[in-house]
Amino acid sequence: MKRSEYIIGIGIAIVIALIAYFITQAWALGPIPPRDLRGIASFYLYSMMNEKSPFYVSSPEAVTSILWDYRGLDTLYETAVFFLAIIGAVTVFRLLREHEKKVEEHRKEIKEPGMTLIVRLITKLTFTIIMVVAASIALHGQITPGGGFQGGAALAVAPLLAIAGLSRYFVEDVGLKEKTALALRTLGLTIIGLIALIPLILMSLGGLAYFMQNLPKPWAKYIGFPEWLLGVPLGGSLFFYNIAECLAVGAGFTVVFLLLSIPEDIFKKIIEGEKGE
Amino acid sequence: MNEEFIVTFLWTYIYLTLLVILGLAIYGIVFRPNIIKKIIALTILGDTANIFMIYVGYRYTYPVKPPILWSWKPNATVLDTFLHQSVDPLPQALVITAIVINLAVTVLICFIAIQAYRLYGSLDVRDLAKLKG
Repeated sequence: MKRSEYIIGIGIAIVIALIAYFITQAWALGPIPPRDLRGIASFYLYSMMNEKSPFYVSSPEAVTSILWDYRGLDTLYETAVFFLAIIGAVTVFRLLREHEKKVEEHRKEIKEPGMTLIVRLITKLTFTIIMVVAASIALHGQITPGGGFQGGAALAVAPLLAIAGLSRYFVEDVGLKEKTALALRTLGLTIIGLIALIPLILMSLGGLAYFMQNLPKPWAKYIGFPEWLLGVPLGGSLFFYNIAECLAVGAGFTVVFLLLSIPEDIFKKIIEGEKGE
Repeated sequence: MNEEFIVTFLWTYIYLTLLVILGLAIYGIVFRPNIIKKIIALTILGDTANIFMIYVGYRYTYPVKPPILWSWKPNATVLDTFLHQSVDPLPQALVITAIVINLAVTVLICFIAIQAYRLYGSLDVRDLAKLKG
């Protein structure tokens, strides 16, 4: 860095400090950070584990309860945005059948894929550990920090590591092809949709239920998702949403990593071939 | 200077710094000609917005705790203590989804950028703007 860049940086910091000092002296923003909770936050925190409240969630984790219960519809639409973004990425990188043959040819040229033996062995060990961590984050989502999104993001690191250390072709040989990952992702999203609809479907048998119902509410005499299992709060549908979301996010990013790992010269050949025609 | 003043000053300083970073990110998105630099600026913009959200949800109290209830069978006393110690969980819930969606959208933009480079051999928007069809 040049000396002038340091001077600009320090200058900006001093100007911000001066403005902040005057704002604070004028008490322009009031007391920040706030001393009290906002009303809606108190409501969430008070009712999520309070069995007497009609808005009982049976999950001690406030973030997960908001994510999948109080603001469940928001999350459903945000999952839809995620779904569409991955669909867009797959569409841009789509391969025709004849192009897939070129990938196969490239594969035969390579005799020993991946890095050295040490790296491959360590990658295999780490792969397992990452999977366990991801499962633990996703399955404990309703009682500890974590949940479907975070577990899925952690899960996606495992195939990425395998692609880097063991090569794309090893991952494909194990059975994790793009189409498998796409199918897994669609399966995860289908399960999310089904969990939202199950109470409505069961309603046809009698009783009261709602779309995206989490637990059976006190006034609706009906069997819903379980609130406790083996002495652990299950949070009704939260537990199942977390598993499905973990699958969807993890498999979605795996598709992206698999597409990114196609060697660049194959695409070059494809584009040159198209121009030649 | 009392404690109240110092705390408020530091938080005002952080808010203003975040505003400056937002401005720099918007500058990068608008004025940098290279698409990769635009994408980097976009991720900085998203992360700054997320940090801002987390700060908005913070609460100045002691002891301050994450919004996770420590008791699975709480009575009225536990719930009252919890309400006096926990931070606001709503911004955190919004940030979780925002991060994943940010990542997915960045992936989509990156894929389009890679494809543009393969087809046209350039990532400079001034070159790409000249293309027709």
